[in-house]
Amino acid sequence: MNQFGFNFKISIAEIVFHVFSQKAIELEEGYVPFLADVEANTDIQVECFHQLPETDLAKLNLLFEAKNEEQRFYSIYENADGYCFVIYNQQQKDEIQQIAFLNSSFNYWKIYSRTALALKYPMGPILMHYLTLYTDAVLMHASCAFDGKKGRMFSGFSGVGKSTMSMIWAKSGSQIINDDRLVIRKLNGQFFVYNTPMYYVDISKKAPLNAIYLICHYPENKANKVSGAIAVSKVMAFCIQNNFDKSFINKRLDFFSELCAITPVYELGFVPDSSVVTYITENEKQG
Amino acid sequence: MDIQTLSQIKSKFVARQVADELVIVPLSGNVAQMNELFTLNETGKFIWENITDDKTAEQLSTLMTEEFEIDQQTALRDVEAFLKQMNLLEKYNN
Repeated sequence: MNQFGFNFKISIAEIVFHVFSQKAIELEEGYVPFLADVEANTDIQVECFHQLPETDLAKLNLLFEAKNEEQRFYSIYENADGYCFVIYNQQQKDEIQQIAFLNSSFNYWKIYSRTALALKYPMGPILMHYLTLYTDAVLMHASCAFDGKKGRMFSGFSGVGKSTMSMIWAKSGSQIINDDRLVIRKLNGQFFVYNTPMYYVDISKKAPLNAIYLICHYPENKANKVSGAIAVSKVMAFCIQNNFDKSFINKRLDFFSELCAITPVYELGFVPDSSVVTYITENEKQG
Repeated sequence: MDIQTLSQIKSKFVARQVADELVIVPLSGNVAQMNELFTLNETGKFIWENITDDKTAEQLSTLMTEEFEIDQQTALRDVEAFLKQMNLLEKYNN
């Protein structure tokens, strides 16, 4: 863990978070390359506290629960001005790890943690998810390779080959933006892909987004271009989203409608070797 | 699924037209359903948009004959097929 001090800034997808506290804050090492200049203009304030607040959750309206059959990951409640997030310790069933409050403008967090590790998983990814409601962006379960000219995003369910595809493109000389989680952001009419802090150290990266591939293993390389509502629904299915609010869904639908209208989307069956790189580049030339 | 049930379920979805089709996304209170999205073609979109509590399948099929170049019998068959397909949205009726 790294002690970051009382007052610092991090930049994710060119959105600047000002993180501050009365006590020293620790963050996982994956955040280190995302540290920003303290003079950078702040977009989102993150005030941290080293204690859990006294909050009567029974009085709040439960909006959303992320849980499986064994345990809860986090719950979202309606708050007077925004939302209250209750994050559970994944090693200690039902123990609250953090309680966080986000205002309705999505630009001021108050994070109360049991320890100095303010953004301990999954608080960090939740912060990244809700930055996408602050601006024109989405958080995707996807990988992205940038060959110096084109950024290609590969998405699909776990196990379809996102990491395999990344390794193939890396061997062919492409830069891998990330092989699991990405932010897509619209800036000045163009779409860009960014990596986010992970549990391991990686530099902050950005690439243009020029094509989207929905992948699966297949006996041969075969791409099928999809468009319209089919493209929007298939790509949006891999967006990391909490769909408890109509305005959130409408914002995402706006985003993906525009993205899929200007960015080609393909369903791609692929053979996991270098032949897929040649196939994709040749297929794109043919339109 | 009957028309009244589907009419009620509609409020639990956000719909967006993309070209001639419709993407429908369920409002969801848990993470398990967050990536379920559905698309409706032009015919499905027309039926979805025109379904209300007080409509019958016959009335919907009449509206379809006015919108598309099809006869009443074909339109009624389309409406019934659509309602049958909508059974997959039954889990959102709670």
